[in-house]
Amino acid sequence: MIFTWQLFAQTVIAGVSIGVLYALMALGITFIYSIVRMINWAMGEFYMIGSYLQYLLVVYLFGPGLWYVALPLSALAVFLIGTVIEPILIKPMFGAAIERKDDYATVVTIALLLLLRNLATGLAGPYQRTPGSNLPTIMLGPLPQSGARFAAFVCGLAAIALFYLLLKKTWFGMALRAAAQSRLGVQTAGVDVLRLDQAAFGIGVALAGIAGALLAPVFFVFPTDGIVTTVKGFEIIVIGGLGSIPGALVGGILLGLVESLGAAFISSPYQNVYGFLLVLLILVIRPSGLFGERARLA
Amino acid sequence: MDALLTTTGLFKRFGGVVAASGVSLSLRPGEIRGLIGPNGAGKTTLVNLITGIYGPSGGDIRFRGESLVGLAPHQIARRGLLRSFQVCRLFGNLSVAENLLVADLARGAHAFAETRQRAARARELLDITNLARLADQPAKALSGGQRALLQVACGFMVPELRCYVLDEPFAGINPVIKDAIVELIRQANEQRGIAFLIVSHEMPVMRRLCHGVSVLMDGHIVSEGTLDEVAAHPQVIAAYLGKSWA
Amino acid sequence: MRRTIQALAALSLISAAGAPAYAAEPVVIGLEIPLSPPGDPAAGQLIRRGADLAVQYVNTVMKGVLGGRPIAVDVEDTQGRDEAGVAGYRRLVSEDHAVGVTGFFHSSVNIAVNEVAKELGVATIGTQTSAADITAKHYEVAFRTHAIDPIRVAAFIDFARKKGFKRISVVAETTDYGIGIANEMTKQNEEKNAGLTLQQITFDHATTDLTPQLLQVQAFKPDLVINVGVGQPLDLMIDQAATLGLLPKTPMLVSYDAPVRPQYWQLHPKDGAGIYFVAYYSPSQQLSPLGQWFAKAYQAKYGEPPVYSALNGFGDVAILAQAVDQAKSTDPKAVVKALETGTFKSWAATSVTFPAASGPYWHNWSPPLLILEYTAPNQSWRDAPVIITHTGTAS
Repeated sequence: MIFTWQLFAQTVIAGVSIGVLYALMALGITFIYSIVRMINWAMGEFYMIGSYLQYLLVVYLFGPGLWYVALPLSALAVFLIGTVIEPILIKPMFGAAIERKDDYATVVTIALLLLLRNLATGLAGPYQRTPGSNLPTIMLGPLPQSGARFAAFVCGLAAIALFYLLLKKTWFGMALRAAAQSRLGVQTAGVDVLRLDQAAFGIGVALAGIAGALLAPVFFVFPTDGIVTTVKGFEIIVIGGLGSIPGALVGGILLGLVESLGAAFISSPYQNVYGFLLVLLILVIRPSGLFGERARLA
Repeated sequence: MDALLTTTGLFKRFGGVVAASGVSLSLRPGEIRGLIGPNGAGKTTLVNLITGIYGPSGGDIRFRGESLVGLAPHQIARRGLLRSFQVCRLFGNLSVAENLLVADLARGAHAFAETRQRAARARELLDITNLARLADQPAKALSGGQRALLQVACGFMVPELRCYVLDEPFAGINPVIKDAIVELIRQANEQRGIAFLIVSHEMPVMRRLCHGVSVLMDGHIVSEGTLDEVAAHPQVIAAYLGKSWA
Repeated sequence: MRRTIQALAALSLISAAGAPAYAAEPVVIGLEIPLSPPGDPAAGQLIRRGADLAVQYVNTVMKGVLGGRPIAVDVEDTQGRDEAGVAGYRRLVSEDHAVGVTGFFHSSVNIAVNEVAKELGVATIGTQTSAADITAKHYEVAFRTHAIDPIRVAAFIDFARKKGFKRISVVAETTDYGIGIANEMTKQNEEKNAGLTLQQITFDHATTDLTPQLLQVQAFKPDLVINVGVGQPLDLMIDQAATLGLLPKTPMLVSYDAPVRPQYWQLHPKDGAGIYFVAYYSPSQQLSPLGQWFAKAYQAKYGEPPVYSALNGFGDVAILAQAVDQAKSTDPKAVVKALETGTFKSWAATSVTFPAASGPYWHNWSPPLLILEYTAPNQSWRDAPVIITHTGTAS
């Protein structure tokens, strides 16, 4: 183990920058849970779809120079896919015939996960791909960052900010926040909760899609590329609190820091264990997460 | 005058339990009707049936000449039939003012264009209810009584409101706020001609407020009339034996 | 699937000019390869290409086995899963009466199948499986034709000596493969008094951000980084090392032949040059007559030169056919005996034997190990200079 303050500073910056990217993933899971009251286990597969779409758009249409044109298109496409899937698979959950809604959601989204993953392998093969990036390496303080990763960091923060504004400042955002507090309440106030579910599912998976598109040149594109980010997403939710946007951001950065510092200065092979230790610690001292309480959104 | 809201032979079974067995009830436009009955008589079930939370096992509900059977709660709300809940369903993390605005969601996206009118209506209601100084507080910071008041006030945000079903709006609330709610209801009834169906055990308030009451027992209406008339009904006396009828 | 292949084998016989018509039933060789996820289907397909050409070679050039019986290959998809591999092996043995089973790519599948094979008695040959346990358990039926850890590490140490590298960072994933290499590196450094100063950093295979580890590597100021990642972490390490400025200043050695795959330059258009990597075959290498026939046939059929997976798939089927001939029998027990005692021709210039040697060298033949260097972006691996050729022994 080598320790210098320079190395420490570099490691901290590496942790924060990866943490913001993790947070984007957690945001989608937390958001869908808040509205639809279900855990979407297939979240990583929407990340995967976003990464493939970005790859296809950049490689076959726009070129790496226009990645920022491809990005909103990938996100929009994932949103549309989400709004098509939701009425078919998720909506029946709220029908009278389904008694165990949680079990239903778990089974259906895991089936979706397997379907999408195998579909991707069948269509694209098991190979890794990258859309490539022309962005130059950037110095983040003492730490060099690849251009693509820095762009993902900045766009990730921007996406989180935009999402926050949507929730706080728009009519639609208010309906979503109200639905997160009481589904029955907004329903009797005249809001079609099932339509809201559809939109919320679309937005939630689109957040994962944005993460996939942004990270396509950083972590590569392959059929199972969503697995790791989903796991991190769930860890962050426990740390930050289910349903909390600041919780997702703070949880993401905390997780990134713990992993980076642990890997660099304690023991490298346990990099993914430090996150779980943090999760366990949070569960002991604050089971609802740092920013968590039942049914909150904002 | 044609009835505003009618239920005919309304039937609801939960497994083997019959919660409503042929409820027939009729409300005129602009009427304030009380709904009383012992605990477990099926009052809340009836409210849930009327507002679409449950679908009836049999019978019909008509509102302004149209059947509500099979409609979702939000569709019923959009037709001008709103409700409040016995267990207060405010949006705890939203501010008091936002809670009023959420009620207005019923009117759909086009209401977005009328930001100023909505804000004016909300301000007016905040003034009437004395909640103006708490407008920016999260609703969960309110006292129980204030919450009940706010919940009732929410419905009045909707200009299309024709019939308001209130489920135990006065339960466990101090007299000052009770009066504020009564005043709110009376004003809306007189100025806007809104009809009310009020479920309550609070007989003094019901006497002040209601034009008539219906008594629900064992899943069906056993008596209708003024409070004094129904109080003379033998079945009602039997059920409420020993209770004071102020 | 299996029927088609038998039909194809028969067809290739009929179409082969001047070949006599065989009335005899074909001798069946089993092929256990990953053809669907979670296995590595790309590798499975390459091995299968080799095996198909071996059928053609045996039936046309060798004129069959046992004085004229054709061979056929029956394929089972292991999916990279132990259970599927074991079930496939059982079918090959009991329904198809295979004389031997080869094609194995995933070590864990090979290990699981060997446990059943030692009961059923039909030989297995690991085609591209490197875990020590496959041969180290000294099962009668277990054979292998792939480079095992000690041989790989011996080549690394040769390479370091030749290039004068003294300080070496071994960055390895915590799989059987990665840990095996990292520990073997420490062991041979001591045993051989190689005088290397080693930094050993291991990481979880699921890690996506290797920046903390690579910052430690950078602070160590090594002469060489050995990249013992498989799949995504291998590629992440190249990218992230380039970002930190480790590459190209500090050279990196990739521990297996991933850089020969077509995806390599697509993933690393800018950072791929200056990388050393292990390969088991280079076109500049001398091939046996068998290997030369194969390279030509492969080029004609697929329009590109063969890679190692295909060569070894071809070689292993050819070895089993020769073993049947030497055993003068299709009895699996006789074939096992022949494998252990015989000498066989495969694609490499050196001939193949499976001596009952100690440790993991039991029934093991290793192809020569090469270390190549990419000297320019987008270079074809066929043009990459060969830095060292290691004989395929641990010494």
